[in-house]
Amino acid sequence: MAGKWQLKDHEAEQRLFSRRLAVAGVLVILLFSALIFKLVNLQISQIDYFSARSDGNRLHSQYVSPARGLIFDRNGELLADNQPIFNLNVVREQVEDMDTTLKFLSTLISLTDEDIEQFDTRLRRNRVPFSSVPLRYVLTEEERSRIAVNSHKLSGIIIEPEFVRHYPLAELTAHSVGYVSEINREELDSLSEAERENYGGTNHIGKTGIERTYEDLLHGNVGYEIAEKNNRGQVMRTLNRTDPIAGKNITLHLDSQLQIAAERALGDFRGAIVAIEPSTGGILAMVSKPGFDPNLFVTGISSKDYSVLVTDEINTPLFDRTTNPYPPGSTVKPFLGLGGLQTGLVDYDFTIEDPGYFRLPGVSYRWGDYTLRTAARGGHGHTDLQKAIFQSCDTFFYDLGNRMGIDTMHEFMSLFGFGQNFALDIAYARTGVLPSRDWKRASRGEPWYPGDTINSSIGQGFMWATPLQLATAVAIIANEGKAVQPRMLKEVEGEPFQPIIENPVPDIVLNDPDYWRYMEEAMTMVVHRPFNNDQFRDYGTAYEAIAQADRDMPYKMAGKSGSAQVVGISQDISQNTDIILSDLNKDHGLFISFAPAENPHIEPQIAVAVFVENGEHGSSVAGPIAKQIIDAYLLDILQIDFAALEGAEGSPLVSQIDE
Amino acid sequence: MNNQDFIRQSGGLGSSTDNLKSIWRVIHIDPPLLVGISIICCFGLFVLFSASGGDTAVVQRQALTMVVGLVVMFTVAQFNIYFFRRWAATMYAAGLAVLCLVLFIGVEANGAKSWLDLPGLPSFQPSELMKFIVPMLMAWYLAGRPLPPRFKHLFWSAIMILLPAALIIIQNDTGTAIMVVMSGLFVVLLAGIRWRIVIAGFIALLLASPAWYIFLAQDHQKNRILTFLDPYRDPTGAGYNIIQSQIAIGSGGIYGKGWTEGAQSHLDFIPESNTDFILAVLGEEFGLLGILFLIALYLFVLVRGGYIAMSANDMFSRLLAGSITLTFFFYVFVNMAMVSGLLPVIGLPLPLMSRGGTSVVTLFIGFGLLMSIQTHGQTKIT
Repeated sequence: MAGKWQLKDHEAEQRLFSRRLAVAGVLVILLFSALIFKLVNLQISQIDYFSARSDGNRLHSQYVSPARGLIFDRNGELLADNQPIFNLNVVREQVEDMDTTLKFLSTLISLTDEDIEQFDTRLRRNRVPFSSVPLRYVLTEEERSRIAVNSHKLSGIIIEPEFVRHYPLAELTAHSVGYVSEINREELDSLSEAERENYGGTNHIGKTGIERTYEDLLHGNVGYEIAEKNNRGQVMRTLNRTDPIAGKNITLHLDSQLQIAAERALGDFRGAIVAIEPSTGGILAMVSKPGFDPNLFVTGISSKDYSVLVTDEINTPLFDRTTNPYPPGSTVKPFLGLGGLQTGLVDYDFTIEDPGYFRLPGVSYRWGDYTLRTAARGGHGHTDLQKAIFQSCDTFFYDLGNRMGIDTMHEFMSLFGFGQNFALDIAYARTGVLPSRDWKRASRGEPWYPGDTINSSIGQGFMWATPLQLATAVAIIANEGKAVQPRMLKEVEGEPFQPIIENPVPDIVLNDPDYWRYMEEAMTMVVHRPFNNDQFRDYGTAYEAIAQADRDMPYKMAGKSGSAQVVGISQDISQNTDIILSDLNKDHGLFISFAPAENPHIEPQIAVAVFVENGEHGSSVAGPIAKQIIDAYLLDILQIDFAALEGAEGSPLVSQIDE
Repeated sequence: MNNQDFIRQSGGLGSSTDNLKSIWRVIHIDPPLLVGISIICCFGLFVLFSASGGDTAVVQRQALTMVVGLVVMFTVAQFNIYFFRRWAATMYAAGLAVLCLVLFIGVEANGAKSWLDLPGLPSFQPSELMKFIVPMLMAWYLAGRPLPPRFKHLFWSAIMILLPAALIIIQNDTGTAIMVVMSGLFVVLLAGIRWRIVIAGFIALLLASPAWYIFLAQDHQKNRILTFLDPYRDPTGAGYNIIQSQIAIGSGGIYGKGWTEGAQSHLDFIPESNTDFILAVLGEEFGLLGILFLIALYLFVLVRGGYIAMSANDMFSRLLAGSITLTFFFYVFVNMAMVSGLLPVIGLPLPLMSRGGTSVVTLFIGFGLLMSIQTHGQTKIT
């Protein structure tokens, strides 16, 4: 070892080391320079870019959804309000591992596969980065605290309060008020750019009924706030805020008390009731039974609940019976009768001899009167228009229709809204069918046969009308021709709503206004003309079920019953008692009515159409239901004292009603 | 004022500093180095306070670690540097033995089975110790042979460097292995290895790197390199750290957003803001000026280290001091370059700034050795 030491040239080695250290020093300076160059590039040249990125990181412009407008009935009763719920939302950008997080969550709260499926669908929608996506609605208090305790293991999972729709009357307003539910892809796509912006913070949209029709009024305008969020999406502070503008509160013509009464009056039947205030066209009640609980749809109906609703083929609770058409049956007779008077085909003295059937000249087929089906004793005999109404004589109208022809019939009936939708804000209502030559050619590719006219004359065959149309038409009679355009919306933010009517429906002007009185009289007889033992078939069809059942009725009501065949049952077979008709094949019972009728002191206050699915009889089933509704409205709600009206004269009566 | 007065005065001053110097020498402390280190430590605590979100417990623990480090440094400095030269080979052999022991009874932490948890001793990483045992051995080996080293000596040097490095790689701690290799290589470089060998080695490395990438590199290593080339290929995953730290530094500008005002760090956008990425916090809150200040501090320590290496009076001390200084630089540079996006992300802390225990103690052992070289060596000459 020592020898080696002596061999070393210490001077030269030190110089070598110093040179190497100097080189290292230069390298150090060079590398630091490169670093400083990079830092200058980051901090001076690109400061704007990185400042913007930094702000973009932490500043989140988020939508503030507006409170949805409330819906009231005409008395200020809430039909739809907003209630707070707590949702479990997910900010995907902040979740480290979605699968593990979801798995962990499902140990804390109930989380079905369906929840996760729906959540995945929501995630796939276009959305603002770092926005929260609902995973579960309506957390219970216990679930909320379980999440809160484990929040450190749940980055990106947040509990957010939300106000959602609540329908206090539930089933009762399911069809008329409708419901809101989660916005779907198609609805988003159908919105314009500006509208989509306005829906940025909104999860729900009106799907049916009023909620859909007045979506624009109810929704309001979205607000914004700029919030500073940390890496986990927690809002640290709010920097700027533009408040949302709440949707407008609206008031409907609907009377929830009457709505309840109507629903009750239907009892166990399936069916529909539409009640209209003739003077305004305001819809007082609109019930389709059975209903469903619209609250289920608000936070996403489970497929189990949904399948219960859609697979019930008998009750079809989702089907709105008020705005879907059925054969109107004999309820069309008053309108056709007015047409006969107007066209001069009949007058007050015109009569026919009814043998119980009608035969077209040269045709062997006999159109039977209903009496053929129900009684053995043939027709009505000597029959004028009024008797044809209160006895509901088919033969009379077969003859009248035949002479009138389909073209005139179509023209005149359409004045009452058949085949059209007169309603101002029920766009989804179907128009039914008011058949014509053109219609038949277009829809069936067949010419019109005279026999088709005969069927149409008693509201069968091709003729289809909705309960809403029937109520509208009878309200026009109650108004003596003044047009009725049904409407739901009464007030917006307490101000009377003046709809812009693009195609106003003309009033019906008859050659002799007395025709209205005549028809009102005939319809009043339907309810009030008592049995007369001397006269063969000289009573009102609904007398027994209505006026006789309640002899103390303080007012008169005008009405017309109808029953509509569900299936074409051969008259020969139906006479055979061996065949028991299935409930679903039973006739539909209908009744249209208005009241008070023939009252010199007061105009008709309410027009009602009652449709009872498979109710079999219009007069005995649908009639009393109509009477119950009218009772509820005139006596319980308006509390009209008819006795006092009789006693007093003129104007005081009106003021009494106002009270 | 005339010239004589000035001389007299400065002479008086000179004598007092001489007295001071001798005091420092007795207690084996190099004042410039101590001052430099202390300022960096204080600055580091200052930044850490902000980076930890004002968590005084974190700052206190780090301060305590630094005090422990200073004590370790002071203790190491008391040993004459020739003690280390004498025992270098023995320590190396012992170090290798312990590394082998770790393979069998080591404890795993953070994916690396590099911890030794012996009863009665605090748990420690033997691989950390190799960071200065290897340069010590290399300095001892090469200083005892004619410089520039001959090929034969280089060959044995390579074996001596790679043997512990291989053991550490088996422990799955590549980062430490690289540092051990670097600290040994610095000795070889300073010892005057011929440039053509250096250049040839460099070229060989360059040529071999594609092969390494294709055949040897593990997925996470490939990923790091791809992320380095384009952080935005996975902006919320692998590229997240580097993107966010660049945003933090870039948005700091020249003057920074102010202490504890960094949005990126305080809203938790910078991961590892207390440890490896603390430079991002510094850059965001103190701006370019803050980073330049820190670089200046580091430069001061480096220059002092270089001076100690230059003025050491034997080759062992020179090589060891030079290697320790360059290793320190390597740490500083690699971390800063990685956080600012000049190099791929490697898990290396920023010396004296990042929060952490073991690495701080290792650093202070290095500083202790520097001080030992400076103080013991000088006394021997006078």
